[in-house]
Amino acid sequence: MSTYNPMEEITKEAAVLENSYVKKWKDSGGSVVGYTCVATPVEIMEAAGVLPYRVRALGAPDTEVADAHLSRFNCSFCRSCLQLGLTGAYDFLDGMIETNGCDHLRGMMENWNYAKGFSFFHYLKVPHIVDEDSIPFFEEDLRLYKKAVEDRFGKAVTDDDLWERIRAQDRIRDNLRKVYELREQANPAITGAEALTIFLLATAVPTGDLELLLQKIIEARKDHAFRSVRARLLLGGAATDEIDFVKEIESLGALVVTDTLCFGARAFWSRGPGRSDGDPIKVLAGTTLGQLLCPRMFGDFKSRERFLFEAVKRARVDGVVLVHNKFCDVHGVENVALRLSLEKAGIPVLQLEKEYGARADLGRMRTRFQAFMERIDQRDA
Amino acid sequence: MPKQPGGLFNRLSSQLAVVNRVPAPVVAKVGPFLASLKVGPPEIQSALAGLFSPQAGEATTPFIKMIAKWVVNARNAAGLGKKVILVPFNFPTELIHAFESAEPLTSEVLSTLAASCLVGQGEQYWGMAMAMGMPDHLCSANTIELGSMLGCRDFHPQAVISSAPGGCDVNAKMHEFVAHHLDIPHFFLQKPPDDTGRGREQYTVYLKSLIKNLEVFLGEELREDKLRSVLEKANRCTELHYELFDLQKAVPCPVPNIFSLFLYGTRFTMWGTDEGIKTLEAMVKVSKRRLAEKAYPAAKEVARCVWAYTSYYWDFCGFFNWMEEQGYSHLGDGLDLYFPSPVDTSSMDSMIDGLAGAAWNMPMTRQVGAESMSRAWTEDMIFAAKNLKADCVIYCGHHSCKQTWSVVSILRSELEKRLGIPLLVLQGDSWIKRMTPISVLQQEIDEFVKNVVLNKSAPKRSIKKRRQRKWEAEAPSVVPHE
Repeated sequence: MSTYNPMEEITKEAAVLENSYVKKWKDSGGSVVGYTCVATPVEIMEAAGVLPYRVRALGAPDTEVADAHLSRFNCSFCRSCLQLGLTGAYDFLDGMIETNGCDHLRGMMENWNYAKGFSFFHYLKVPHIVDEDSIPFFEEDLRLYKKAVEDRFGKAVTDDDLWERIRAQDRIRDNLRKVYELREQANPAITGAEALTIFLLATAVPTGDLELLLQKIIEARKDHAFRSVRARLLLGGAATDEIDFVKEIESLGALVVTDTLCFGARAFWSRGPGRSDGDPIKVLAGTTLGQLLCPRMFGDFKSRERFLFEAVKRARVDGVVLVHNKFCDVHGVENVALRLSLEKAGIPVLQLEKEYGARADLGRMRTRFQAFMERIDQRDA
Repeated sequence: MPKQPGGLFNRLSSQLAVVNRVPAPVVAKVGPFLASLKVGPPEIQSALAGLFSPQAGEATTPFIKMIAKWVVNARNAAGLGKKVILVPFNFPTELIHAFESAEPLTSEVLSTLAASCLVGQGEQYWGMAMAMGMPDHLCSANTIELGSMLGCRDFHPQAVISSAPGGCDVNAKMHEFVAHHLDIPHFFLQKPPDDTGRGREQYTVYLKSLIKNLEVFLGEELREDKLRSVLEKANRCTELHYELFDLQKAVPCPVPNIFSLFLYGTRFTMWGTDEGIKTLEAMVKVSKRRLAEKAYPAAKEVARCVWAYTSYYWDFCGFFNWMEEQGYSHLGDGLDLYFPSPVDTSSMDSMIDGLAGAAWNMPMTRQVGAESMSRAWTEDMIFAAKNLKADCVIYCGHHSCKQTWSVVSILRSELEKRLGIPLLVLQGDSWIKRMTPISVLQQEIDEFVKNVVLNKSAPKRSIKKRRQRKWEAEAPSVVPHE
């Protein structure tokens, strides 16, 4: 008799771009719209009956088509996403919401739009600073985004619709926090690679299905425990959807017990439920921009530093690995500042620059991890 | 223990303090003499040969004196009870000049001065930033100067303004890092990527907030009469800017290649000051005279080149002079494309709005900080190439410039489609010589002009005729072998 293992299902579904949930959604006449950045409130798309889908590259290393548009001085994650976009892997999308996440993402979108185009395209402009001037501007931008989605998909979004989706996303975030509690506990019940897999699927399935899946995995793993972990690590840094990369770290006996990734904790941890009444767009503007812990934001380094240190303490980590993809400036510089802070606090830290999805890079990475683990071992000894 | 090198600003300002004290006529005489001696380190020889090239004429002295005064003002600021504010190149320094108690310093101009005027150029300061673990894909334009602040005992500003959020990640992040590391106040002017009136209005709101913050920081209210005086001078600079632009349209181009650098060197430092006006007037005067004399450094103008973004600043002679010797006119680069507008000085509101317009149109902010970075950049390049009758566009490929690198393929395609002119994509660091040597860059430019640009102006070859010639060449001889 076979036992149902929710992690197996999640792993299978997260390994493909157009998973069975997306297929089912499309088959029933639903629309799917891509987005690239955590600064995009998905609640607005959901309220218009659209399935939001966060663009990822799933470790795909090929970039030969994308390289005819972007250059080799652009981040390889964006080049990989563009490659998938231009070669048809994302043809199931019915549109795209662009945000000014970083210069590479903007370049990727410009080239995707120029070379292939989207049947629906909207640019959500996200300020780089949170202050009394920028929040109302962002609020207005959210209204333009809502109108664009309403016009394209033919559904008027009411405040009630939005409140319903905000509450649904709050529940999802609660469940994701429970998943993280399971990985951060003294004897972790979920590996780092599994947590990343769960998160990836969480940004590519309808909320209703996702809630069930998350509850199943929480239930299935509640009594699970990984013991004899060589080192408890925190993984922080740039957009990393490479499950193999995390597996590589964990293959050396370490466990990535928490993260500050944007394909991870940074996307949901700090976004607690805001006000539950009034103008939902105003609430979304405040929670999205006000709690955006991304190095593309300025004048707010202290919040991101605090977020990292809280995670270090909460998950009782032995060391921190900070990664960025080659040519990613926002994380490249941010990681130096964070590394200096961690070193000052006596927390072992490894700062890594890598190419996205390049298996050729794994040998070098492995050597760096091994050396880092030895550093931690010696410290413990 | 190895001796710690002197800081970039300290070294530069010591040199320029001497230049500042020497009367202009002496600089005008001694400069060309020193250049002709061809002694000293090669980088200094190259800088002198570029700055004092005969075609630059009497414009060089006011330019050098202006830069010297700008640096010395910052050096002496503390003694005069003033604060120095570090800004990036895309910030209109006339706002800082309008405060009595502040002096502006522009990171990228300091890096450029180091790359051209200091023995050893900027490499050691770049190395200091790398030694902290900074990634090697940062922009040397600001990392050289900021590396010096981070890595050795050097002058520190009292605050940093960042106007790069929205226009350039790497610039904004590096300035943020320095402000955090040195624990000095950091002010912002972010650019909304929104080309509509809404975006422009919001930008004015952001500028007003910045002015308020500066007033609090400096303990000084921005005075209307002082601002008016600076902006009236800025308006004169604007007039002179367009005179130069019109002169550049003449064939052959009477505006010396290095004036591209002089022009934005003025824009980024002393725009809205008497020294700025004096420099621009001298540039216009030299160019007008050259137009009247039909003077051109080579036997003929072979190709008219607009540079798409930055140029190379570590070998003035090997770059600006060499191009002129080949007959390749440098018609300015992307940093010259800031399209200033005269500011209405009738009221405080109109002046603030005019300043917001000036900041909005600063290079980089205007192009890659726009809603579509490829469209805004392409439109400006097409405007410049068309008006200046360019035969080609050259992209220097400064490796850190991720935004332009990410859409240069679109620029190339649009230039080809809409103007029928080619774009050369080079790869080289604009501020550090070790990435691509000047000889390689020269060779690539030369081959491009000779094989692509000049061939393009020849009549189109018919494929049919080409095939015919090929068949004739390959066809067996009709004459039987004996």
